[in-house]
Amino acid sequence: MVTFPFPVSLCRSVLRMRRTHSHTVHSSVQNFVAFPMRWFGFGFNAFGQIYVHEKPMQGECSDAAAEVKVSSPTELSSEVDRRDCCVKNECQKRASWSRRASLHLNSDSCVSLAGFASHGSCDARPVQESRGCKDVLISESFLSLAFSDRVECWDLRKEEKTPSWSMEIKTHPDSSGPSVKLPLVPGGYVAPKLPLYRLLSPHLQAKMLALSSEHAVLLSASGAVHTWGLGSHGQLGHGGLASEEEPRIVEALWGMPMSHVATGGWHSVCISDGGDLYVWGWNESGQLGLPSRGLRKALRQQSSQQEGAQYQDASTSPAEEQHEEVFISIQAFPALLDVTPPCEIRTVSCGCRHTAAVTTKGDLYTWGWGDYGQLGQQNLLSSDEPQRVEFFREQQMHVTDVVCGAWNTFAAVAEEEVACS
Amino acid sequence: MAALWAKISAALPRHEEQLPLRFSDKVESSVVEMLRRSRRQLYSDDDNAAAAAARMLNAQIILDVSWERLNAGTWRHVDKEWRRVYSYGCLFKAAALCRRGPSADEVLLAVRTCDMGLLMGAAIMDNILQVIVGILQGEVRRSTDLQEESGRAEVKRKKTECSRLPVINDESAVPRIKCPSLESFSTNYLLPLKPVVLEGTIAHWPALNQRPWSLEYLRGVAGCRTVPVEVGSRYTDEEWSQTLLTVNEFIERHVLDEIPELKEDICLPDYCCLGEGDEDDITVNAWFGPRGTVSPLHQDPQQNFLAQVVGSKYIRLYSPEDTDKLYPHPSPLLHNTSQVEVENPDAERFPEFSRAPYAECVLRPGDVLFIPVRHWHYVRSLELSFSVSFWWS
Repeated sequence: MVTFPFPVSLCRSVLRMRRTHSHTVHSSVQNFVAFPMRWFGFGFNAFGQIYVHEKPMQGECSDAAAEVKVSSPTELSSEVDRRDCCVKNECQKRASWSRRASLHLNSDSCVSLAGFASHGSCDARPVQESRGCKDVLISESFLSLAFSDRVECWDLRKEEKTPSWSMEIKTHPDSSGPSVKLPLVPGGYVAPKLPLYRLLSPHLQAKMLALSSEHAVLLSASGAVHTWGLGSHGQLGHGGLASEEEPRIVEALWGMPMSHVATGGWHSVCISDGGDLYVWGWNESGQLGLPSRGLRKALRQQSSQQEGAQYQDASTSPAEEQHEEVFISIQAFPALLDVTPPCEIRTVSCGCRHTAAVTTKGDLYTWGWGDYGQLGQQNLLSSDEPQRVEFFREQQMHVTDVVCGAWNTFAAVAEEEVACS
Repeated sequence: MAALWAKISAALPRHEEQLPLRFSDKVESSVVEMLRRSRRQLYSDDDNAAAAAARMLNAQIILDVSWERLNAGTWRHVDKEWRRVYSYGCLFKAAALCRRGPSADEVLLAVRTCDMGLLMGAAIMDNILQVIVGILQGEVRRSTDLQEESGRAEVKRKKTECSRLPVINDESAVPRIKCPSLESFSTNYLLPLKPVVLEGTIAHWPALNQRPWSLEYLRGVAGCRTVPVEVGSRYTDEEWSQTLLTVNEFIERHVLDEIPELKEDICLPDYCCLGEGDEDDITVNAWFGPRGTVSPLHQDPQQNFLAQVVGSKYIRLYSPEDTDKLYPHPSPLLHNTSQVEVENPDAERFPEFSRAPYAECVLRPGDVLFIPVRHWHYVRSLELSFSVSFWWS
C-alpha cells in the first residue's frame, strides 16, 4: 500500500494556503495555542513506536524489558528530515497497538509512521501518498487519510498502490474551520474494520465520533451523546448490558451538553462543557477511575509472585477489604469522576484499558491498566484512581494534548504559553 | 530440574522451522511478528537472566493482546484463531517458566498457565498443552510425595446428617426403573420425553469401585489444576460470580475435559447412542459442591443424564408445557431460568407457580436421572455431592 521513500523528497507540488485558525483536536478551549510542540510518549514500545534503541539487536526492534515498557515519559525525536519539515509547526499524533502516526501540519502536510512496518524496520518513514493530508486515523489494519477534497483508507496489511476505499468531498468555497474530523466523513464514518464506510443519519448532527473496535460514541452538535455497538461491559451507558445496532441517545446525560467524547476497549469517557469528566463501561483494570476489585486482586497476585510466595487464592479477600468498600466492575450508567484536586478537564483520550486526561492548567492525569508503563508513573503499576503524572510538573512543562494508543500514551507539551484562557 | 526441561523439550518439535505458526488474516501481522519472536527465543540457546526475562515478556505480550480479543465480544463470536494465539502464548510462557531449574512455585504457575490455555484457548500442535501439563503434573506429584503431609490443610469431614430432608410423595415421585433395555428406555421415556431415574446402570464405574471418588482422591489427582468455580449459593444471586481457582484452593467444581485422568473413572451411558449426535458431541461435566448448593429452576437445550456418584441431591422437575407458570426471566441472558425460588416461592409475585405440576426425587449414589430436553429442573445438594452430567442430543 504505502511506500517508504528514502530520503524524503523535497517536492512541494501543492501549496496549501488555508490554515485553520487553531487546529486543535478539541473545540472547547479555542484560545490556547502553543508552539513549539514537543511530544512525549510512554508505555508499550515493543515495535519502537516511542523510541528505537540505539543498538539494533540482530534486526529485531528491541525486546529487553526496559525498552518494551517505557514507564517514564520519553521525548519523541523528530521523525521527518529537518530540511523538509519545520519542527515549529504543529504535529498531531495517533497510535494503534503497534504503530504511531504523526501528522505534520505545515504548508506541505504529511503523515509519517513509526513502529511496526512490513519492511521490518522501526524507523519513522513518511507516507508518500499522504502529501497534503489534513487529518489521520490509524488502526491496526487501516490508515485513514483525510484531504480537503477526498478521504482514503489504506490497508496496512498489504502493499497496494491504491487505497482500499476512498470518497470525494465536495468543498464549499466559503467554508471555514476544520473540514473533516475523522472518523467522521460526509454522510457517515470510517470504521477500523470492514465494512470501512458506514452511514450515519444526518439528524444526529454528528460533530465528533469516537470508535473502539466494538462500540461507538457520537457527540452531536447539540452536545447530546449517542452510543451503539457492543454493550456487554456497560460501555454504551444505557444502564444494561445489551448491545445496540443503531445509535441510541444516552439519556442519563440529557440536559448536560458534552464537548468531547473518547472510547477505550470497553469503556467510554466524555467531557461536559464545564470541564467535568463522565465515565462508564468496564472497570476491571481501574480504567474508569473507580474502585476496582479486579485491580486489587491483580496487584496482590503480582506482589505475591514477586515475593516467591505460594500462589495466592484469588478469591480470598484480605482483612483490609472486609470493611465496606464498594467496588465497581461495570458502570452501566455514566458516572461523574472526581479528580483531586478539583480541576477542569480540557481533553481526554483512552487506550484499551487506561485513560489519560489533560486539565486546563496543563496537568496530565492517568489511570487504569499500567502493566506496560502507559500511566507514565515510572513504575508498572495499575491504578484505579486518577493520578497526576509528576514528570511534567517537575520539568515545568504544560501539557496541552494527549493521545493514547492501545497500550501507550502520547502527551503534547508546550514550554511557553502564547495565550491564556 | 534439568530433567523437567529435557522432557518438555522432547515434547516440542526439534527445530524452530517445525513449530507451526499459521494463522488466518484475522490475526494481524504485528501479532504474528511477536509469535515469531517467541519461537526464536524458544529455540535459542541463550540461558542467561536477560534472555529468560525477554521470553517471559514476549509471551506475556502475546497473552495480553489475545486476551483482549477473547473479551472483545460474546464468547460465541470469538474467532478460533485468537484462541489459538492465546494457547501459543500459554505454551511460550510455560516453556519460559520451566527452562531454568524452576522452583516449585514456578512449576505450579506453569500448570496454571497450561490450564488457562486449555480453558480459554483452542487446541494447537496436537493438544501440546495437555501433554505439557501432564509432564508438569508428574513433577508436582513427585515433589509433594517427598514432602511431609503436615503442610496441607486439614479437610474437615462434614457431618452427614442432612437438614430439611425432603419427603417424596408417591404421586409426585419420578418413576424409577432398574436397567431398562435400550428399546424400553427409548419407547417409554426418550421419545415421549418423560423423566425417569435409572437404577443400577453405573454400578461398574471405577469412580464407584476401584477408584472411589472422595475429597482426598480428587486432591491427589487434580489438586494443582485450575478450574472454573462458581462462587455463591445460586447463580441468580447478586453476589454470585465465577472465578478460576485450583482444586486445592477452593474445592467446589471441576470440569472433566481438563483432567482426562478422572474420565477413566466414569463411562458414557449406553442410552446416549439413541441420540442423533456424535459421541464426540456429548458434553460431560463433573459437579462438585457442598451441602446446600442450589441450582435454580432452569432448562437446557439438550437431553441430560445426571449421574450421582457421591452424596445425594433433591431434584424437582417441571414440564416445558407449564413454562407459563414458571415465570422465566425476561432478559435474554437468563431467559432459560425461572425467577421463582422453588422451595420458598413468593406467592404474591408468582401466583401461578403453585399450580404447576411437578415430579421430584432424591438422587443417590448409583442413580442416573434422565432429564428430557428443555425440562425445567431444580437441584439442591443434601450433602457433599459429586455428580456427572452428560448433555447429548
